[in-house]
Amino acid sequence: MTEVPPATDDSSASGRPVIDGWVWPPAAPPPTSLLQIRAGGVDIRHPKPDLDLAGRLVASLRASARTLAAIPSRELIACLGQAGESFVGSIGDKGSRRIAQNAGLSRAMTAEVVNGMAATWSTEALEGLVYAEFPDPRVLDGFVPDNERLVAATAPGITLHLGAGSVPGVTVTSIIRALLVKSPVLAKPGAGDVALTVAFAQHLGRVDPLLGAAVAVQYWPGGTAPWARWEQELFAAADQVVVYGSDTTVESVRTRTPASTRLIEHGHRVGVAVVDPTGDPRAASDAARAVALFDQEGCVSTHLFLVLGDRAAAREWSGELADALSKIEFALPPGHAPAGELSAIHQMRGFLEMDAASGRDTELWYRKGLRWTVIMGSLDGFSPAGGRTAWVIPAADVAACLQALSPLSPVLQTVGIAGIGEERQALAEGLARIRATRVVPLREVPFPGAEWLHDGQRPLRELVRWTELH
Amino acid sequence: MAAQGTLPPECAELIEELAGLFRDSEGIFGCDDMFDYMARRVHAVQRATNPVLRRFWDAAGGSEPGAWHEIPPVPVAAFRDVPIASGPAEVVFRTSGTTGGAARRGEHHVASVDLYRTAARPNYRRHLFGEDGAAARTPSAAASTVALVSLIPHPAAAPDSSLSAMAGFIAREPEVAHATWAFHPRRGVDAAAFERAARAASHPVLLLTTAFALVQLLDALGDAALPLPRGSRLMETGGFKGRVAAVNRAALYRRVGDVLAVPESHIINEYGMTEMLSQAYDGAAGHAGPAPSRVHRFPPWVRTRALDPLDLAPLPHGDVGLLAHFDLANAASVCHLLTEDLGAVTEDGGVRLAGRAPGSDLRGCSLTAESFLRATRGRGPG
Repeated sequence: MTEVPPATDDSSASGRPVIDGWVWPPAAPPPTSLLQIRAGGVDIRHPKPDLDLAGRLVASLRASARTLAAIPSRELIACLGQAGESFVGSIGDKGSRRIAQNAGLSRAMTAEVVNGMAATWSTEALEGLVYAEFPDPRVLDGFVPDNERLVAATAPGITLHLGAGSVPGVTVTSIIRALLVKSPVLAKPGAGDVALTVAFAQHLGRVDPLLGAAVAVQYWPGGTAPWARWEQELFAAADQVVVYGSDTTVESVRTRTPASTRLIEHGHRVGVAVVDPTGDPRAASDAARAVALFDQEGCVSTHLFLVLGDRAAAREWSGELADALSKIEFALPPGHAPAGELSAIHQMRGFLEMDAASGRDTELWYRKGLRWTVIMGSLDGFSPAGGRTAWVIPAADVAACLQALSPLSPVLQTVGIAGIGEERQALAEGLARIRATRVVPLREVPFPGAEWLHDGQRPLRELVRWTELH
Repeated sequence: MAAQGTLPPECAELIEELAGLFRDSEGIFGCDDMFDYMARRVHAVQRATNPVLRRFWDAAGGSEPGAWHEIPPVPVAAFRDVPIASGPAEVVFRTSGTTGGAARRGEHHVASVDLYRTAARPNYRRHLFGEDGAAARTPSAAASTVALVSLIPHPAAAPDSSLSAMAGFIAREPEVAHATWAFHPRRGVDAAAFERAARAASHPVLLLTTAFALVQLLDALGDAALPLPRGSRLMETGGFKGRVAAVNRAALYRRVGDVLAVPESHIINEYGMTEMLSQAYDGAAGHAGPAPSRVHRFPPWVRTRALDPLDLAPLPHGDVGLLAHFDLANAASVCHLLTEDLGAVTEDGGVRLAGRAPGSDLRGCSLTAESFLRATRGRGPG
C-alpha cells in the first residue's frame, strides 16, 4: 500500500487505472491524505484510517437521519427508484470499463451482471420489495393500526455495511435496503465492487442530494492495527452492522461488534440444482447460465447438479451442459484470470483424469483453452472449484437428491430446479428441511428478485425495530 | 509404506540402463535426438507397465507420440489421487502440505532409491562440491573436505521426505568429514547444535537448509556474527509454502553474508519437488552470480518447457509460463510433469524461475473449497 496525494489523474505508476474508493457526504470533512492499493485490474485510492475523520463522518451521517426520517416512504421509493433506473445509463463507457476491471469480469459479463442487478433497483421492484415486507408501508413513517394496537417500524440509526468479494452490485443493493428503511449507511464495498458502488453513490447524490447526504462509501483493506482501530470506532458508532464474507470475516466481526448492536450476517454459500432432463429441454442452457454468471463467484452460483435418472442419462445431459457452457463462454467471456487460477484448472482436470484412469466413476468434459469443466462423479469428490466448474451426479429420485444434499445443509442457499413436475412441492419441502433458503426455477438462479429472502432473512424487516403503542 | 513385489522386468532393465547412463554417459542426453529416443522408450515401457498412466494418456488423445513433448504431461495434483507407478515402490515420498483445498498429500511412489541417488548425485556434486570445470580450479570453490550441517531433517526422522533422502545422499559423499543434523521435525531448527558445529568446524561447512529454516536459524542467532570457515557454502531450497508470504531472497542472502560470512557466490538455490527425482541448481558454489540474474540448471536428462497458462501451448524461449518438466529419472512413475510453478526457459535449456503462479486477489461470495470442506465434513442437518 502506498501513500499518494489527493489527485485527479486516473492512472498509477503501475500502469493500472486508478479509481476513487470513497464518496463522503458533503457535510463530512474531506480526507486529507490517501492510500492506494491494488484490487483486480485497478488501483483503489482511499482515505487513511484517521479516527478523528471517522468520528466526523459518522456525525454527518447521523445528522442526515432526521431528514431521511421525514421523507414519506412512497416518496423515498420513488426517489430511490428514479436513481436506480437512471443509474445504468449514467455509467458511461469509461465507467463500465472501470467496473469490469475492478471486478475482474469481462465487459460483456459486467454488462449482464449490472443490468441484472439493476433490475431490482427500479421503482417497481422497490415498491414490490417494500410492500412484500410491509403490507402497509406507512408503518415506516409512523404508527399505523395493527389489530388492537398501533405499530411503527423504525431504522435503529446508522447501518454499517461491510462487503466482501468481487460481485458488483451487492453493496448497492445493501445501501438501497438501508435507505428504504430510512437508515443512513456507511458502506465498505468488497474489493471488486468499489467502482460500481462509488459510481452509484455519486449518482444518487446528483439525483437527490438529501439521499446522497445519508450515504458514505469507503473502501479499506483491513488486516492491520490502524484499520482494526478504525473498524472498532465504526463498530462502536454504528447501530447495526451488515457483514458479507467468509466464515473468518464473519466470525471476526461478530467478536468485535458490541452486543447491543444488531449484526446481520451473510456468509459465503453454495448453490446447487435438481434437474430432470426429460421434463425440461432448456435445462442445460439454463444450467450453463447459472454456472457462468458472475464467473461462478456469486453466492447464488450453481456448482452441483443432481440429475434424475441413471448414469447414462446424466452422461447425456453432461454433454449437453458442456456444449451450452462452450456457447456461453463466447457470449459471456470469463474475466482475466491470473496464472494461478488457470493453473488450478489444469491441476484439477489432471487430478480428475487420473481419478478416471484409476477406475473410479469419474468422467470429464472440457475444451482446451476454455475455462469451463463438467465433471460427472460421486458426491464424495465434490467441492466447489469455481472457474465455471459444474459437477453432475446422477440421482435415482427426489428422495435420493435430498439425501445427497443433506451434508451440504450448513452452506446451502439457492437450489435451482428444472423439469421437476408433480414432485416439486415435496422437493421444496425437503429442501427447506435441510435449510435451503431459495428454491427457484433454474433460469431464475442468477438474479433473485428485490424481495428475495436473502439467506433466509427478510431483507428489510431485519433492518428495523418495531415499536408498539397501546 | 513401500509395497511388496518386484518391478516388471522391462521396467527394471530400463532403470538399470538409465542409472548406468546417468553415472557414466550423461553427456549423451545433451543430444536432443538421444533424449527423444530414450523418452519414447521410457514411454513405451510405461504404457506397458503402468496401466493408470496408460489410461490417462488414452483419455488425453492416445495416439503414439512423435516426440517426447507430445506425451501429455501429468499435473502434479494427480499425485494426490492414486499411486502412479510401474510397480512396487521401495519408498513413498509425500509432499509437505496440501494446497488448493485438497485433503490429501501428494505421494510419489519411487521404485528405486538407487536411481534417485544416481540422478541427484551428479548435479549436487557439480553445484555444491565444485567437482568439475572451473570450480575445481578455484581453491575456495573446490571442496575436498567439508563439515556438513543440515537444517533438513535426518532421513530417519522424515522417511517420507524426498528432500531428507537427498540430504542423506549428500551426507554420504566422501568429502563429508562430519555431519550434524540440526533440525527436528517437531521442534524445528536446533540453533545450539548449529552453533556448536560451526565453532568446531575445521573444514569449510556445507549447510543444507530450506529457506524457512534458514530464516529461523538467523533469527535465533540474532545479530552476533558466527563466521563459518572460508570456502563454506550453502544450499537453500523452497520451504516457504504456506508458512511465510514471501521471501526477499536478496535480503536473506545479505543476512547470511553478515552473520555467517558466506558470500552470495557460495549460496546456491536448489529447485526440486517430491514428484521429481532430478533437481536444478542456480549456480556452482564459489561461482554463483547475483541471485536475480541466475538460471537454474537440471541434469541433461531433464527437458523443461514453459506453457501458456490458458491452453498449455508451448511458449517461445524467454516467455514466462507454467513449467512442465520431462525427467527421465522418473521412468518408473511419471516423466512428464505439469507443475504449478512459473518460469521461462532460456535458449540453452536453463530455467528462470518466477515463483508459484499467483491466484486472484479477488474472491466472490461463493464458498471456497476449503470453507466447504470445513463446513460440511461429517455434518448434516441432524
